[in-house]
Amino acid sequence: MNKEGTIYTVVFIFLVSFLFVFLLSMTNQATIEQVELNNEIARQRAVLTAMGIETESPDEVQQEFGNVRADENAGLFAREIDGRTVYAREFVGAGLWGAITGVIAVTDDLSEFVGMEIVSDNETPGLGGRINEGWFKEQFRGEEIPTGPITVTALEGDGDPDRTNGIVDGITGATRTSDSMESIVNQEIETFRDPDVLESLRNLTTGGNA
Amino acid sequence: MSDIDTRPGAILKNNLWTSNPIFMQVLGICSALAVTNLLTNTAIMAIGVTFVTGLSSLTVSLIKKWIPRKVRMIVQTLIIAFYVIIVDIALKAYLPEISRSLGPYVGLIITNCIIMGRAEAFAQSNDPLPSLWDGLTSGAGYMGVLMVIAVFRELLGFGTLFGYQILPANFVPWTIMVMPPSAFFLLGIVIWVGKSIMNREGAPA
Repeated sequence: MNKEGTIYTVVFIFLVSFLFVFLLSMTNQATIEQVELNNEIARQRAVLTAMGIETESPDEVQQEFGNVRADENAGLFAREIDGRTVYAREFVGAGLWGAITGVIAVTDDLSEFVGMEIVSDNETPGLGGRINEGWFKEQFRGEEIPTGPITVTALEGDGDPDRTNGIVDGITGATRTSDSMESIVNQEIETFRDPDVLESLRNLTTGGNA
Repeated sequence: MSDIDTRPGAILKNNLWTSNPIFMQVLGICSALAVTNLLTNTAIMAIGVTFVTGLSSLTVSLIKKWIPRKVRMIVQTLIIAFYVIIVDIALKAYLPEISRSLGPYVGLIITNCIIMGRAEAFAQSNDPLPSLWDGLTSGAGYMGVLMVIAVFRELLGFGTLFGYQILPANFVPWTIMVMPPSAFFLLGIVIWVGKSIMNREGAPA
């Protein structure tokens, strides 16, 4: 058979592609449960971190998450921490390249942020991708929620230490991502203020666990 | 190919030193710059590259006599992509944290020129076992240089090695070491030092 002929080449490519893709799908199938479990743990860990609870091992995450009252369908979470009630909500918002998903936690009187955690993003690594870094996320810890919108804007240095001004230091060189985070967070504040959402969150804390 | 010495010792010395993929051939630079600010990430990335280079060279060599010449590079790319996706899936399933911090760079192993370079320059014309060894040692040559860069970047950028605090707590981290530009400087220094030693030995540089 002519190895350089068109028919041989087409058949060869077809067989080789089929074999390798088949092996890949087998591998994918074999690990899919583990990957889903990992994603679930990452999501639970994000909710806990946003609420200010640090966790280490996957077991610890699942154990701590057991104490969180959750309405998984609505992505709403509530938990008593040190005598105060903390609400959290999962968000999905538009970033520069794709969706940014994460969790924002606030106190039950909506007076301040408890924390913000990113679950997934497709922002440019090293630029917009820095929303994943500690200094950016930590700025939301204990930041007062202003009556108006918050502002994410580039300031000098790393982070804005003033917890009362409703200003968060953005990322230099990633203005679009900073703008996205600003509108996502403002949108979330509005959502928390929605009477229906607030009602659902109150129901969670008074025992109605979905 | 008669001009390549295929004895295991010669391949090892060649890939680790005399034609080291990073500082002699200057291949695979983008990942060398991107992932080297933490030793753990660097080690995992380099092990991934070594695994892919070794096994893709082995596979190319095993099936080389059935590959039509005009599509050989497409087939090599397919084989490389196959192993890279295996690495990606394995990391996602068993090392999710590292998978997350390496982000898109695992997928980009596919574009690492070292892998295709070895498949084309060595595996295509040599037996399977020397090809496997050639791939693994090329990966090791890549790993060696990356680890050296990562030691400096993590130590000076975070004051840690493999996440363990090494420098005293009052050490002020050099922020530049965490960022990609520092890898350019360090890589330049590594190439400079490597070539200087080589010139002193009188080896052809």
